Amino acid sequence: MSSNPVNISIESPLQYFHKLSSHQSKGQRAELFNGDVDFALVVKEAPVCSHLNLRGSAQDQNFVNGISQVLDIALPTEPGTYNCSQEAAIYWLGPDEWMLVSRTEAAELEAALRKVLSGHISIVDVSGGQTLINLRGAEDALQTLLKKSSVYDFAAWSRASKDSGHCTQTTFAKATAVVSNKSDGSFDLIVRRSFADYIALWLLDAGQEFGCRIEG
Amino acid sequence: MSQINRLNSKGRIDCDSPINFTYNGRQMQGVAGDTLASALLANGVNLVGRSFKYSRPRGIVGHGAEEPNAIMQIGSGAATVPNLKATQVELYEGLESASVNGWPSVNFDLMSITGWFGRMMPPGFYYKTFMYPAKLWMTYEHFIRKAAGLGSAPVQDDPDHYDKLNQHCDLLVVGAGPAGLVAAREAARAGARVIIADEQNEFGGSLLASTNSIDGQPATSWVDELVAELNGFSNVQTLPRSTVFGYYDHNFLGILQRRTDHLGISAASGSRQRLHRVRAKRVILATGAFERPLVFAHNDIPGVMQASSVSTYINRYAVAPGQRMVLFTTNDNAYQTAIDWHRTGRALVAVVDSRPAPNGQIVQEVKDLGILVIAGSAVIEAQGGKRVKRALIAPLNADGTEITGAVQKLVCDLIACSGGWSPAIHLSSHTGAKPVWDQAIIGFKPGKSVQQERSVGACGGTYSLADCIAEGASAGAEAAKLVGCGDGAVHFPMPQVEEYSEQPPQALFLVPHTKATSRAPSQFVDMQLDVSASGIELAVREGFKSVEHIKRYTAMGFGTDQGKLGNINGMAILANALGQSIEQTGTTIFRPSYSPTTFGAIAGADVAGLFDPERYTAVHRWHQQQGAEFEDVGQWKRPWYFPQSGESMQDAVNRECLAVRNSVGILDASTLGKIDIQGPDAAEFITRIYTNSYLKLAPGKCRYGVMLKEDGMIFDDGVCACLGDNHYLMFTTTGGAAGVLAWLELWQQTEWPDLRVYFTSVTDHWTTATITGPNARKVLAQVCDDIDLDQDAFQFMDWRDGTVAGVQARVFRISFTGELSYEINVPAQYGRYLWEALIAAGEEFDITPYGTETMHVLRAEKGFIIVGQDTDGSMTPADMNMDWVVGKNKSFSFIGKRSLQRSDSVRADRKQLVGLKTLDGTQVLPEGAQVVFDPQQAIPMSMQGHVTSSYYSANMGHSIALAVVKGGHSRLGQTVHCPLADGRTIAAEIVSSVFYDPKGERQNVQ
Repeated sequence: MSSNPVNISIESPLQYFHKLSSHQSKGQRAELFNGDVDFALVVKEAPVCSHLNLRGSAQDQNFVNGISQVLDIALPTEPGTYNCSQEAAIYWLGPDEWMLVSRTEAAELEAALRKVLSGHISIVDVSGGQTLINLRGAEDALQTLLKKSSVYDFAAWSRASKDSGHCTQTTFAKATAVVSNKSDGSFDLIVRRSFADYIALWLLDAGQEFGCRIEG
Repeated sequence: MSQINRLNSKGRIDCDSPINFTYNGRQMQGVAGDTLASALLANGVNLVGRSFKYSRPRGIVGHGAEEPNAIMQIGSGAATVPNLKATQVELYEGLESASVNGWPSVNFDLMSITGWFGRMMPPGFYYKTFMYPAKLWMTYEHFIRKAAGLGSAPVQDDPDHYDKLNQHCDLLVVGAGPAGLVAAREAARAGARVIIADEQNEFGGSLLASTNSIDGQPATSWVDELVAELNGFSNVQTLPRSTVFGYYDHNFLGILQRRTDHLGISAASGSRQRLHRVRAKRVILATGAFERPLVFAHNDIPGVMQASSVSTYINRYAVAPGQRMVLFTTNDNAYQTAIDWHRTGRALVAVVDSRPAPNGQIVQEVKDLGILVIAGSAVIEAQGGKRVKRALIAPLNADGTEITGAVQKLVCDLIACSGGWSPAIHLSSHTGAKPVWDQAIIGFKPGKSVQQERSVGACGGTYSLADCIAEGASAGAEAAKLVGCGDGAVHFPMPQVEEYSEQPPQALFLVPHTKATSRAPSQFVDMQLDVSASGIELAVREGFKSVEHIKRYTAMGFGTDQGKLGNINGMAILANALGQSIEQTGTTIFRPSYSPTTFGAIAGADVAGLFDPERYTAVHRWHQQQGAEFEDVGQWKRPWYFPQSGESMQDAVNRECLAVRNSVGILDASTLGKIDIQGPDAAEFITRIYTNSYLKLAPGKCRYGVMLKEDGMIFDDGVCACLGDNHYLMFTTTGGAAGVLAWLELWQQTEWPDLRVYFTSVTDHWTTATITGPNARKVLAQVCDDIDLDQDAFQFMDWRDGTVAGVQARVFRISFTGELSYEINVPAQYGRYLWEALIAAGEEFDITPYGTETMHVLRAEKGFIIVGQDTDGSMTPADMNMDWVVGKNKSFSFIGKRSLQRSDSVRADRKQLVGLKTLDGTQVLPEGAQVVFDPQQAIPMSMQGHVTSSYYSANMGHSIALAVVKGGHSRLGQTVHCPLADGRTIAAEIVSSVFYDPKGERQNVQ
C-alpha cells in the first residue's frame, strides 16, 4: 500500500503558459522571452487559492453579518462591486450570488462560514475550476486589450481603492470572465479552467501589438 | 513615363519624396501624399478601366468614395486586394496596381466590340438573353463574370491579421470636415467622450483641397490647429483612415479602420485593419456631400470629370488632369474650379453655364480673369475615343429642357462638370430615416431622425462654410449637453470665413441632345454599371414604375460605388419619364455597407486556433504526450483513442475494449457536466426535473435519471448523487451541461420560485478519472485506504468521501461499461497528479487508458443509450425501453409527464430502440443506415427505422448495432434489411439492445 505518496503535485490552469510570450525566441523553448521586446502587457496568474461560490439573501442580516464576521470584509451589495482585504475578496455576481476568493484553505473556510450561516444558503468550492489572473501594463494597452476582448465599457469604471472596486461577470472573447479593476490600475480576471488555454492564447494574440508575456 | 501633369504648387504632398509604383506592369513614380489616382493622373494616365457591360473605355472621374471607374486590383499573391478605388488607395513604395476591368487588356479590349453594338445590350439584357436554357446559366455566368471583370480574390490564406475593438462613447462624430471637427471640439471641451472618424488619410474633409481662408490663414492651417487641439484632449479618440460603414439599431455603428494598408506591407505587429464596434450615446453625421455629375451624351469618355475633383487634384495633389479644360456648370460653386485651373496656367477654353444669366460674385471674378463664360448653354456631347477631344455645346431654353440654337465645337481634353451637390445621406438612411426632397438645395436631405443622431453641414444640405462651422459647433455642444456634459452653449468663437455669396443653382438632371434621348449617343447615369438615361426611359416603357424595381432592372446603383454619383440624376430622369415629381418618385434606401468592407475585418481575430474555444481537461497534456487522437465533443477536446505504434483506429479500440473487460481501463470523464444543487427544496426540485423520484435518496447514494422536455422527449440523462441533507450533485452529458443548467434556472426562476434551491456549475472544478474492469477495485485499493471497498460496504450506486493518493476525493461506484467501476473525483488542480498515480497503481494490471470510441463500444455492448446519438429529440423513455426510469407514483408531476399520455406518444408503431445483429457478423452497419422490412419493395421503399450506433465488438467477436425500428420491441427475432448507398443490402436480426452480460453480474465482481 502506498496511500501516502510523498509528493502531491498541483497544476494551475495556466501552468503551461508561464514564461510564454507574444514574442517567443525562435527555437528556444527554454528561453523565457525575446530580450528585444519591451512587454507593455504582463499577464500574471495568481497562485492556486480558494474560490467559493456563495448564494444567499442580502436581506438576511444573519447572512450579511456572518460573512463579514468570518472574512472581515463587508458583503458587497452594490451591483458590480467587490470588497477585499489582504487575505480575501468578495465579488458581487448577482442579487443573491457572490464569488469569494481567499488564501484560506477552501474546506476550512467553508466550515467556518457554515458555522455562522444558516437557512437557505449555498457554498460551493470551485477552486479547481477557475483561476485568477492579473493584467497589468500601460493604460492604453490595457484598455485596448479589454476593448478587444469584451463588449463591456470598462473605461466607465471609477478607479478602485485598496479595499473595493468594480467587477462584472461578462463575455471575454468567446469565453466568460469575472473582470475587476484594482487600485494600482491593473485588472483581475477570474476565468474557468477549461477555457484557460483559449484565454491565454487570446491574450497573447490580442496583446501582441504591445508585447505581452505570461508569468506564474 | 514622367509626371507630365504635376504642378509646381505645394498642396498636401511632398514632392521631395518620390514613390515608385507599377500600374498594369508599368513602372511609374508618384510622390508622398499621393493617392493612386492622383499619381496616375500626374503621369498622364487617363484610361483606367473598361465599363461593365459595353466595355467602353473609362477614366478617373472623382477623388474619393464616389469614384465609379478607377477600380483596381492592388498587390499580388496572398495579400492581393480586389476592387479598391484608386482614389482611396494611398501610394506607397512598390505598390502594384492593375485595372480590374478589361480583358485581355485595358487598351485592347476584345469585349469593346459590344461597345460598338451597345444598343444590343439594353437594361435587362442579361435577364432576357441568358435566362434560357436554365442549365446553361452557369456557363454564361462564367464568361460574363470574366468579361465584366470584378477583380480576383486571392486563393491563398490571408497573411494579414485583423482585430475588433468594442468602443463606447458619448458622441461619435462621423466625418472630420469643418462641421465635424468643430462639433468634436465643442463636445470634447464639455467633457464628453468623443470619437471622431474620417475615411480620408487626414482630417479636414473638403478643406484639404480648399483655397478658402479662415481667420485670415489658409484653411488647411486652421484644420491643422484644430486637429492638434483635438489630439490634446484625453477624452477624444481621433480615427483617420476609418470609414463608418454602417449605422445599426440602438446607435450601434461599425467603423473600418485601415491601419497599415497605406504602408503596403503586412503588419509585423498588430492588425492590418480594425473593426470598431461603437456604441454611441449620440451621433453627429457630418459626412459632407457629393458633387452631382451632368448627364450628357458620351459623358463617360475619359477626360470628363467632376469639377470639385479637378480642384482637389490641383489644390491638394498639385496635379492638373489635362491641358485644355471646359468647365460645365449649373451653379456658382463650380466657378472655383475655373479659378483653380486658371492658376495652373493651362488653357481654360470656356465656362459653360446652363443658367441664362449667371451674375454671382464669383462669376464676376472669373469674368474679370478674362475667362470666357458662355451662359444659357450646355455641353450636350463629348467626343473622343480614349480621351475627350471636343465638347459640343449648344444654347438651352431657360428650363434646360430643349436646345434652342446651333451646336458649336470646343476643342479640349478635359470637361469638368458640376450639376450641384447631393448630401451624403447614406448613414442617416441606414437608420431608417426616410430621405426628403428639398427643392431649395435640389437634393434629398436626411429624414427625421429615428435614432440619437443629427446631421450637420453639407450632409444636411448646408453648403456655406461659415454655416457648416456654426451648425457643427452648436450640434457638438448640444450633443454634449444631452449626455450630461456642459451647458449646451457654444464656447469657441466662430472663425472668420471669406466666401462668396452664391446665386441659385439650376436643376439640370439630363442635358438635352439634338436627338431624342432614345436616339442620342448614350448619356450615362451610372458609369460603373453602364446605366444610361435611355435605359431608364426604356425600363419605364416596359412597364416599371417603382424606383426600387427600376433600380433592380437596370442595376443602377448596384456597383461598388453604390450609385453615389448617379442615383439622384437617375431618379430625376425616372420621375420625368413617369411624368411625376421627384418627391412622388422617391429614392431608393441606402443600406450598409457605405463602402465595401473586408471580410477579414469582420472575422477579426476569431480565426484558426481562436475560431472557437478549445476546452481542455486537467489531464489534456498527458493525453497529448501519450499520442491520443482527439474527438470534438461540444467545445471539449476528448481523447478519442490511444493508438500505439502501428495500430489502426480499429486495432486500438479492440485492444482498449478487451483491456477493460479483461483487466482494467481508465477514462478521463472530467468533461461530464456537474451541477451542485443545495437548498431545502432540492430533492423536490430534482424530482420534478427527472422522470423518477429522488425524495428518498439517502446521503451516500446515487440514482440514474432521465429528463424530458415538456413534449415528453428525452433531452438529457445522468446520475444524481445525494451528498448530504439538502445537497445533491447532478451529472449531465458533456454536450448538455450548459443547457441543463439553463433549464434548471429557467424552471426555478420562472415557474417554481417558491422552491428554495441554488445551482452552481462545478464541471470545471472536478477532474474525474474512471477506472473500470474486473481489476478496478484492486487498483483503487493501491491508493486508497480510508474507504471500505468491500463489495457489500461500498455497493453499486453508492458514493464515498475518501483519500485517493493522498488527495481528498469523492468516489462514485457507477458504471457506464457494465464492469466494476469507480469514478474518482478530485479538485482539478490535482487532476493530472491523480491520473498519473492511478496509472502507476494500475501498472501491474496493465491499466489501459481508453477514449470515447471505446467508451461508446462498451456502453453499446450493454445497450446503454447516449442522448443525442440514440435519441434525437423525438424519443420517449418508453421508446428507449426505459419505462423503468419513469416514476408513476410521484405526488407532484414531472416535466413531460402529461405528454407521455398523448395518443402519438403511445402509438404501437413508434420507433423503438432495439439491437441489430448482422447475419454476417463481420459486416458493420453504417450509422444512419435506413432499416426496411422488404428489400424487394419498389423504390421508394417504406423506411421503418434507422441505425443509431454501430461498432465492431471485439468482446462479442461480431458487429453490434443499436437502431430505432417502428414497433421494434415486438419484433425481436425478425430479420430486417439495410440498403446502403453503394447498392449493397445488409440483413440483420432484431435482438435485445443488451448484447453483453444481460443479467448485469459483472459490476458485482468480487
